Amino acid sequence: MIRERLAALVAESSDGAISAHEALTATVPLTALGLTSIGQLRLADAIETEFGVTVDLTGDGLDLLDDLDRLAGHLAGR
Amino acid sequence: MTIRFAAPDSGTAPLTWGQRAIWEAVERTAPDDHYFNFGRVLKVPGRRSVTDVTTALTALVERHGALRTRLTDPPGQRLEATGRLTAEITTGDPGKVLAELAATRFDYHAEWPLRVALVVDGDVVTHVVLVFCHLAADGLGAEVALRDLRTLLLRGRVPGPAAPRPLDLAAWQAGAEGRQVAGAAAAHWEREHALMPATMFAAVSGDPADPPIRRALLRSPALHLAVRAIALAHRASTSTVLLAATATLAGRFSGSDRCAMLPIVGNRFRRDTLGIVSTLSQEGLFTLDVDGPFTGVLRAAAPAAMRAYRSAYHDPADRARIVRDESARRGTPVHPNCCFNDLRFADPGPAACTPADLDAALPETALEWQMSQDKLNCRFCVHVSAHGVSLTADTRHLSGADIERYLLGLEDLLVEAARR
Repeated sequence: MIRERLAALVAESSDGAISAHEALTATVPLTALGLTSIGQLRLADAIETEFGVTVDLTGDGLDLLDDLDRLAGHLAGR
Repeated sequence: MTIRFAAPDSGTAPLTWGQRAIWEAVERTAPDDHYFNFGRVLKVPGRRSVTDVTTALTALVERHGALRTRLTDPPGQRLEATGRLTAEITTGDPGKVLAELAATRFDYHAEWPLRVALVVDGDVVTHVVLVFCHLAADGLGAEVALRDLRTLLLRGRVPGPAAPRPLDLAAWQAGAEGRQVAGAAAAHWEREHALMPATMFAAVSGDPADPPIRRALLRSPALHLAVRAIALAHRASTSTVLLAATATLAGRFSGSDRCAMLPIVGNRFRRDTLGIVSTLSQEGLFTLDVDGPFTGVLRAAAPAAMRAYRSAYHDPADRARIVRDESARRGTPVHPNCCFNDLRFADPGPAACTPADLDAALPETALEWQMSQDKLNCRFCVHVSAHGVSLTADTRHLSGADIERYLLGLEDLLVEAARR
């Protein structure tokens, strides 16, 4: 469920440049699919608002934002 | 021509973070604060009469609270339900009309924050010229207004929910969620302040111009190609490449291994801020170690830029407290006095280019002096636009000759990095 919801947020944050389906089936990082830095910021804000977490924008935090599975695992394991 | 508007809502609120930030900049720049005025020209679709366009403008002002909001004393905001806006009717060149409308400062308390002119050809309005008070809109907010005006001209109404208002944003910022966002941003400002140089461009140039503020614009197709090629090679946005290069060279000219710079950030990353006509843009704080090869600097720049972009959505009161405390701790004013503003609406994106492409483009480089004035709230401001890269600097700290050397040096740094 979290994965599907995150994929929808990726689609919204990228203004549809990446569809939810593409995000769910991605085999490369989201930035390689075309998620821009503005898209990443929108995604971070959306995740914080929806899941009540703080997204840390260090190198590790940015890697997490780039990988739907790791991100879902991280949010599920809170 | 008079535009009479009558909306259902009115009210007062404290200034939003973005309004307060631009108001502080306006106060530091007065009486040269017309510097912040800016405008847009809308080419009117189809054949529309003055009455048609006036009807659409009325609906636009009624829709967007930001265009009915003025400054109160002491500084706060007042949204008015009704009022009258005067629109000039002219046959002049739209660009010139815009420059004339933007040439004088706004009366922030008494004047509506929008100046309008209709350019006519016989019975038909060909262009609408809008000049915005920066307290009411930033570049992206103006785009929202323009898009809605066009929709109103074509369809008579804007579909979807009511437009968000600055009043609502002020309430959110003061609430629990807003305070949490502000707290995270303040932590960044505090952390970076402890490590950054007190200021950039502290030394005096010894060669001040009169008036002291000057701007030069570099038009360089080669720089443009180089930035896109570097973005491709390093998987970065063109904006981050330009920010990193601007900071690297600012460090060199300022004799500092660590650069502190204030990128102006749009702050339209949240659902409640995407479609608002207001000033959301604020400065973020970007610091970077700039000694060593540019490729290494660029690698560190990407995550640093993301943190800086996020820190831009902050409460200016928190920032003021942090700056005051750090200045007291060091016994000297702490402020970067160095800013970066990417005004482009879209990133042109990464693209490959060959050394031969760069060689062919280099002869087209041109540098042009654009303006001079007495006051500016900064020493060093780089603007990136579709026209090129400009540097507005205080020649008491960076001479005219150095402004020119800086811009040509920026081109050189980027073109050489793109060749590798």
